[in-house]
Amino acid sequence: MRQRVATAVWRVLLAGGLVCGVGLLPWLTRTDPAYTVLKARSAEREPTPEVLDDIRRQLGIEGGPVQVLGNWLGGVGRGDLGQSWLSGSDVLPGVATALGASLLLMGVALLVAVVTAGAVCARTLRLGGQRRLGGRRRGGTGSAVLASLPEFLVASVLATLVGVQLGWLPALGWYGPQWTVLPALALGLPAGAVLGRLLDDLLPGAFAEPWALAAAARGLTGRSVARQAVRRCVPALLPNLGLFVVGLTGGAVAVEQVFDIPGLGRTTLQAALAQDLPVLQAGTLALVLLAALATGGARLAARLLTGPAVRDGALSSLHRPAPPGRLLPPVLYGAVLIVVAGVGLGRDPLALDTGQRLRAPSPAHPFGTDALGRDLLARVGHGALDTLLLASAISAAALLLGVLLGLVPRVAAPLVDTVNAVPPVLLALLVTAVVGSGAATPAFAVGAVAWAPLATHTAALLRQERATLHITATKGLGAGRAYLLRHELLPAVLPPVLRHALLRLPGVALALASLGFLGLGAQPPSPEWGLLLAENQPYAERAPWAVLAPAAVLALLGALAVTAAGALRRGPRGGRRPARPDSSAGDGGAGDDGGAGGDGGAGGARGVVGVVGVVEKEAVVVR
Amino acid sequence: MRSLRRPRLLAPFLLTPLIAGCFASGGGDSGDGGGKGGDGDRLRVALAFPPAENLSPYGADATLLSRLGVTEGLTALDANGSAAPALAESWRRDGEKTWEFTLRDAIFQDGSDVTPDAVADSLGQAVRAKPAPAALAGVGLTAEAGGERVVRVTTAEPDPVLPLRLSSPSLAILSAKAYEEKGGKADAVGTATGPFQLTKVNGATSASLDRFDDYWGGRAQASGIDARFVADGTARANALRTGELDIAEAVPVAQAASLDEGTRRDTATTRTTSLLFNASSGTFKDAGLRAAARGAVDTSVFAKDVYEGYGDPGAGIYGPAVTWAEGKRSAPVGRAGAGKPGGDDVIDLATYDNRPELPEAAQVVKQQLEKAGFTVKLTVREYSRLEADALDGKFDAFVLARNTLLDTGDPVAVLASDYTCDGGFNIAQLCDKDVDRAVADAEKIADTAKRQDAAMAAEARILGSDAVVPLVHQRIITGVADSVQGVILDPYERTLVGTGTRR
Repeated sequence: MRQRVATAVWRVLLAGGLVCGVGLLPWLTRTDPAYTVLKARSAEREPTPEVLDDIRRQLGIEGGPVQVLGNWLGGVGRGDLGQSWLSGSDVLPGVATALGASLLLMGVALLVAVVTAGAVCARTLRLGGQRRLGGRRRGGTGSAVLASLPEFLVASVLATLVGVQLGWLPALGWYGPQWTVLPALALGLPAGAVLGRLLDDLLPGAFAEPWALAAAARGLTGRSVARQAVRRCVPALLPNLGLFVVGLTGGAVAVEQVFDIPGLGRTTLQAALAQDLPVLQAGTLALVLLAALATGGARLAARLLTGPAVRDGALSSLHRPAPPGRLLPPVLYGAVLIVVAGVGLGRDPLALDTGQRLRAPSPAHPFGTDALGRDLLARVGHGALDTLLLASAISAAALLLGVLLGLVPRVAAPLVDTVNAVPPVLLALLVTAVVGSGAATPAFAVGAVAWAPLATHTAALLRQERATLHITATKGLGAGRAYLLRHELLPAVLPPVLRHALLRLPGVALALASLGFLGLGAQPPSPEWGLLLAENQPYAERAPWAVLAPAAVLALLGALAVTAAGALRRGPRGGRRPARPDSSAGDGGAGDDGGAGGDGGAGGARGVVGVVGVVEKEAVVVR
Repeated sequence: MRSLRRPRLLAPFLLTPLIAGCFASGGGDSGDGGGKGGDGDRLRVALAFPPAENLSPYGADATLLSRLGVTEGLTALDANGSAAPALAESWRRDGEKTWEFTLRDAIFQDGSDVTPDAVADSLGQAVRAKPAPAALAGVGLTAEAGGERVVRVTTAEPDPVLPLRLSSPSLAILSAKAYEEKGGKADAVGTATGPFQLTKVNGATSASLDRFDDYWGGRAQASGIDARFVADGTARANALRTGELDIAEAVPVAQAASLDEGTRRDTATTRTTSLLFNASSGTFKDAGLRAAARGAVDTSVFAKDVYEGYGDPGAGIYGPAVTWAEGKRSAPVGRAGAGKPGGDDVIDLATYDNRPELPEAAQVVKQQLEKAGFTVKLTVREYSRLEADALDGKFDAFVLARNTLLDTGDPVAVLASDYTCDGGFNIAQLCDKDVDRAVADAEKIADTAKRQDAAMAAEARILGSDAVVPLVHQRIITGVADSVQGVILDPYERTLVGTGTRR
């Protein structure tokens, strides 16, 4: 009980600190809010001292940060969230409308994600229901590729193809049900692929449990066995869904932009850039509350579905030693990547020739040229080095931080929720405020999010490992805590978390590029992959190859990570346990493979989907 | 379990009203576009810049109001950039500091008459606004009724360009009702004088306008306007292609090719994209190196390739949209000989990504400078994160798109603010006695033609300093559906829809 109170207090402290931190943003970043407000109102207006003074008086910020924050907190106590600094209108109705639009979008996207996830697992469900799953090797390249597609790319392709070329659905606006379809598809397809992979990884374990055999023997149809298997696995995914809900509500900026949806993502982005603090604070508050609701809701739903079983420790492990993945696909993907990079490295990525702009692929330019006539093969090849090096460095740092924080889950779990609720741009600004805008800032900004899923994963695996018999035996032999950690726990936990970090590489690369407009991260003419995607996006319709090349290598990287993680499974951990004769193609854990990093996108480092499910799942595991 | 199921199925229907509240209002019902009684359809227009201040007439939103035909000032700009009659029929200068404007017979959209008192009061409100509209910055202006149809406007200092100044959209004339709300706010809903009146504003998403039947210039042909504010250029172009829109403002160059040839109309604008060199510090303090860099930049590729033909090669500070400029242009004066780039100095070149063509142009500049022997580092940021550093002179070179006629429509104003020692927007950090003198001379002249001559003389001086290399004069692309006629393609970007616009 005391621990629960402590966690609750920590959670409230974090949320309070966040909202106050937002309230002090201009003073932390040393950027005059009068200036950013003026520029947001009218970019061409000269920032003369008189004008800035007038605005300061108008906003009532001459009193300094403490007074401004105090006034705001006083207002919140009375249910008054203040007036927007930008437009002067009341904050509450505006943010409520934006939140409504975002929640609706998220809701439909969730629906799409569920259907997509269903499609991804359809084969496993069918085979499992008929008990023909035995020994099936895992595929998953297709869903991994889908999961690593950036949202903004899916959005613009859908808008152009379905909205304009085919004319089936409106390509712009937010006025009724038919307007929700395309944006929801753009958000839901990649997310659904991630969820589907998670579920698909869990299902074989469920089908291999004794009840499934008994049910089949009793004559239940394959359909009802499959339904029960889904029900058995869904609780493990619910916390993922919770984070997904919050992430999409505040972080769908790119999709809102492409389809012109007046959602919360754009509202907070604009407010963050203009330092319109009242709007920013209200938006953050709403997202933090939503995060608390989502976490609570996920816990409640999981308890409703599997409550008694958890209490009685009556569940068996969903984890089973899996047959190692095939070696051929990762080798093949890796070889293609290396060949592309190798050939590209021999060419000049910066040589402009505006006369050769947007040329289709040809022998001279195998991947075509971009809007300035640069060779895309060269840019993809040279970008590989920058992208992979930086993304790997960030992933390594996030891995270290994640494992360390994962050792103290009570501290980390509320932190994960809070970090997930902050709009990505705001988080980048806060990070910039703390560390300044140096060369390492983008790494910090992306790393500030990237650790969260890894920490959750580590915590979950630790909890599971602590409950195993061999740990009890080692303790019985007199081993101390340090010995246990070093010789038993960490060796067991590190490999899957490492594989997981690997899976998030493409997402990290995309998140890096999404910070460019703040002057963080790669700057043109760097051929960094995320930047390549962003700068060629306006030409997606006229020169599809210009976005196809970077998107394809990124997807290839995702597929490589997923298949390589499967092949890596022949580690010492897998070898230590004897494979059970009846083992169907279960797998080492959702988090191990699930989160093929399809999160980044222009929306930013929204990386928690795909992992946190492990927490709940591990909670129900008794070995 | 079974008993719970039916209510669950019904739950979505109970949510329907809640969900309906989550959609944006307005715009959706414009699909059928039925007008009032069938005389003239409503126009569906997408504007690029959402209102930042609830369509307040004193800031940048004023341009939106003027483009939609809601507000008018005493004067307007004609095609040659001179003041033309609007609410004022005529005007004359009365002494050094006073001008007399004779009003035409007009009524406000709330039904009251446009009287000299109402006009004087409206101008007074603009003067007292905090911060003051840009067109009034540094001008002490008072207005009073001076007869049955006459308004007398007096300035603290002699102001030869007052009629031009009063054409600024931020000095639109509103009725007394607009100022009833406290707090210095002006509300243009139903209080302006233009051919269309605002009926509803949905935040920064959309606005509805109806025709104002008693407009002094005759009834507009369209019965109303459904305006949407769509920031994303691709989204605007897409909506036009699917027939969701009649007019899409500012289609990005990258999307122009996706529109049918008849749908895209391009107009020369007063916006010039220039390369500015920091003349006060760093490498380009040396006029010789500025000359070398200017020589290295081949301006022909920008209009042709980066802007895909939707631009004119940089000729001077003023482009072809300033119609009188070309005939009066003289060769740059006082150019230094080209120096030899050397040393290990890295040139900090900066630009912003709010206009997608600018980073592309900057990358071309970078390559051209590097070919000439300079070492260049490029910085691209969002504009508001960049401007303060640029004004402080933290960059050696800057690619800037700048409107050369500013809020006042006075050609000299941009020279004074951008290229003189005391200029408030002097990114080039130019401080040159000859330039200052030339600009000061031009500022004193009242006669339009002579003022233009003096402005061109000052331009020659500024170009001679090599602190600025005009790269391209932008053309703005407006997407207009085939069925729509009478769209006003205004080089000053102050009007778009008028009485003759219809579909």
